[in-house]
Amino acid sequence: MNKNKEKLLNSRYRAEKRFQFYGKSAIFLALLFLTIFIFKIFSTGYTAFQKTWLVIPVTFDAETLYLDENPSIEDIEDADYFDIALKSMFDLDKNASEKEQNDLKKMVSYFFEREIKKELLNDPSLIGKTKDVYLTASDDLDQVFKGNYPRDLPENQRRVTDFQLKIFDQLVEQGRVESKFNLSFFTYPDSREAELAGIASSFMGSIFSILVCLVIAFPVAVLAAIYLEEFAPKNKFTDFIEVNINNLAAVPSIVFGLLGLGILLAVFQLPRSTPLVGGITLSLMTLPTIIIACRASLKAVPPSIREAALAMGASRMQTTMHHTVPLSMPGTLSGTIIGLAQALGETAPLILIGMVAFVNTIPGSPLDPAASLPVQIYIWAESAERGFVEKVSACIMVLLGFLILMNLFAQIIRHKFEKKWS
Amino acid sequence: MIKINSKNVDVFYGKKQALFNINLDIEENQVTALIGPSGCGKSTFLRCLNRMNDVIDICKVQGQIIINNFDINDKSCDVVRLREKIGMVFQKPNPFPKTIYENVSYGPTIHGMAQSKSEMDEIVETSLKKAALWEEIKDRLHEPGTGLSGGQQQRLCIARAISVKPEVILMDEPCSALDPIATAQIEELIDELKKDHTIIIVTHSMAQAARVSQNTGFFHLGELIEHGSTDKIFKNPENKRTQDYITGRFG
Amino acid sequence: MVEAPHTVKSYEEELKNLNNNIIKMGGFCEEALGKAIQAITTRNSDNAEAVIKDDEKIDKFETLIEQQVVNLIALRQPMAIDLRETVTALKISSDLERIGDLAKNISKRTLLLNENLPKNLTEALVRVSSNVQKQLKSILDSYLDRSSAMAVNVWESDEHIDDLTNLCMQEVIKYLKEDEKNLDDGTHLLFVTKNIERIGDHTTNVAEQVYYLVTGEYLEGDRPKGTEPIVSGEK
Repeated sequence: MNKNKEKLLNSRYRAEKRFQFYGKSAIFLALLFLTIFIFKIFSTGYTAFQKTWLVIPVTFDAETLYLDENPSIEDIEDADYFDIALKSMFDLDKNASEKEQNDLKKMVSYFFEREIKKELLNDPSLIGKTKDVYLTASDDLDQVFKGNYPRDLPENQRRVTDFQLKIFDQLVEQGRVESKFNLSFFTYPDSREAELAGIASSFMGSIFSILVCLVIAFPVAVLAAIYLEEFAPKNKFTDFIEVNINNLAAVPSIVFGLLGLGILLAVFQLPRSTPLVGGITLSLMTLPTIIIACRASLKAVPPSIREAALAMGASRMQTTMHHTVPLSMPGTLSGTIIGLAQALGETAPLILIGMVAFVNTIPGSPLDPAASLPVQIYIWAESAERGFVEKVSACIMVLLGFLILMNLFAQIIRHKFEKKWS
Repeated sequence: MIKINSKNVDVFYGKKQALFNINLDIEENQVTALIGPSGCGKSTFLRCLNRMNDVIDICKVQGQIIINNFDINDKSCDVVRLREKIGMVFQKPNPFPKTIYENVSYGPTIHGMAQSKSEMDEIVETSLKKAALWEEIKDRLHEPGTGLSGGQQQRLCIARAISVKPEVILMDEPCSALDPIATAQIEELIDELKKDHTIIIVTHSMAQAARVSQNTGFFHLGELIEHGSTDKIFKNPENKRTQDYITGRFG
Repeated sequence: MVEAPHTVKSYEEELKNLNNNIIKMGGFCEEALGKAIQAITTRNSDNAEAVIKDDEKIDKFETLIEQQVVNLIALRQPMAIDLRETVTALKISSDLERIGDLAKNISKRTLLLNENLPKNLTEALVRVSSNVQKQLKSILDSYLDRSSAMAVNVWESDEHIDDLTNLCMQEVIKYLKEDEKNLDDGTHLLFVTKNIERIGDHTTNVAEQVYYLVTGEYLEGDRPKGTEPIVSGEK
């Protein structure tokens, strides 16, 4: 008998060890995939945070600019900088042919005029003088400098000509090529030119969409959850509603996009491509998530608190609002933030309602057309230029960072509330 | 003087009847203990007195419960007002997860009993003093109520209940989660409180019922088997079932 | 009325034990009283000595019962009928111990008697003592059977005992007055008669306790008393 017991005990121990092994392996695998994924994104994307500048000497010739010795700010603003900009590029190789000159022009972004104007605006005394100005390198050169570009391809298969490479190498030798932190990635809107493309418009688009979503979904969901959990009679009808809410949470998001398209755009004629419509669509999606989180939170409040309040002579409304709801806030809020984080990452419904158009202005309000971060990723990923590859990864990193921050925020709020209420 | 008069009270949970024809009078400013084995209906009866059974959907109460010449089972009874007059203390201490001050001031706040902060301060202080808790916590009024020990929490709940100056206090096994010292403190408190309040206490401890009450009612299987002065019930009960329960001859 | 047993068996055992001890103690008292009366009426000094020696057993019982009662109160917190059992056991054992002592005292005096007793004295003694013996037996039976009716009987019969005691007293006083030589024996006999009366009183006490035990109430009013005791000897 004893031997049997021993055998059984040993097999139980072994089973437990096996189970632990499976668990650890599963976690290990998951972490492995996660690490590979993050590593890939990082390694591709980190270069997007560097911008390549060509330091080109620019002569602020008063005559070419049609400015006098001491021009006013207005005059500087109105002047045309195209000619001196071109000249400063052509000066890099004074023997350049016409084709080569064209090549030279293409070595910088078309912002070069603005950049030169900004320089003069900063220091009007530069009139008549020559100064080194930082000009944004073209996306191709930017990629060459970052080492992402195969220089050994035959010329007709590359976008960068041999001549450009020659001049570029010269500039590198002269120390005139610098890499700086790419602030414009965050402050510029989308652009056809990869070197000038930034996430500002899609970032603001996302923020506006989430705000609209929050403003609509949160009050509606919380009130619905409170009513369903605390006040509604328990009968077949409320059971039916509960089943439907759970089902809604599982509906594919693209269906909500169709809903938005069909009703918000076609019937209500709301402006297309705007965070307003995006926000409303997202709020429909997020409603079930928040309702479910809020209901679960309300259920978790111990009935003894409700009883204590009722026994004090509080009405049902007072009991719910003064006691149950505040206690359920941590769970509700973290559920809301998670719901919003999910909404932030939604692409399909926003594409359907048109937030996929090329928008090169930063939206100032939810009624201005915009894209959102995930849609931006989609747009850039479709693009042919090599310069957008790193930007896609960088945008993913920004999005992930945003999501992590939101989840962290959810944890902090939950922690703070739980401490307060316990 | 009779404070509460229950006539032919029947209670049903759905189809199942839990209380059968209860006729029990509660004396004013005395402690009445309700004893009986588990599931006999004493807590159910207690909860009828402040209409807490309304919270349970399938529970139906029939019969009359007359307090101050008014039948509280009548449809016109305002439950919120009723619960201001009849307070309740539960088995497991359940202070609100708020500060001690807020716990005690909640009742007076919602019933509009204080016109100014100083009046409220006074109500809080008086209630905590009557609950024999003031000295221990007077410098930590703004700390959470849930940070107190079990016995202190229960006294806080009592302070909370008496803050609205109820006429009747219902106690559902108030000491069952407490250690003997805390229990003794609560029993002493009950003794003091009965001067100004009518107290009804449900208890599993025979010894406690004998110590604390002046009148006792013995419930069994939903019926009120016997009731009378504690003296009589514990020294020489009339009903054999009562004697069997008290002396431990049940089951 | 047969009680259902306690759920906690050890508690049931303890109460039974207490009950049995009272009954045993009562049995010893009966025996002591019987032997003491037999000793004095038939001048049997062996019996008298046996009573004196055996009183120790009765005393031990009282101590034992007292301890049991204190334990029960401290550890079991008896209620209702159990409480009455416990409290009355204490008082009954005290009365029984006194009865034992009084029987011992009678036997001691028996050993000090010089002469044989005159027939009329012996008859008077026998009459009163046999009644007292009957009372004692009756009350112990009523305790065993938990019969309040029998207890009331005993309580009411105390009057009769008092009358018989008075008659016996008269005979002893007559004996004392007869002859100076009778002074020693007569004095002893006075005490013996008094002791028998005291035994009767204690038996009545036990009757009151049994009644309280069974009904939870007290026997109302003063006990019925016999005629005033005669001091001068004149009727």
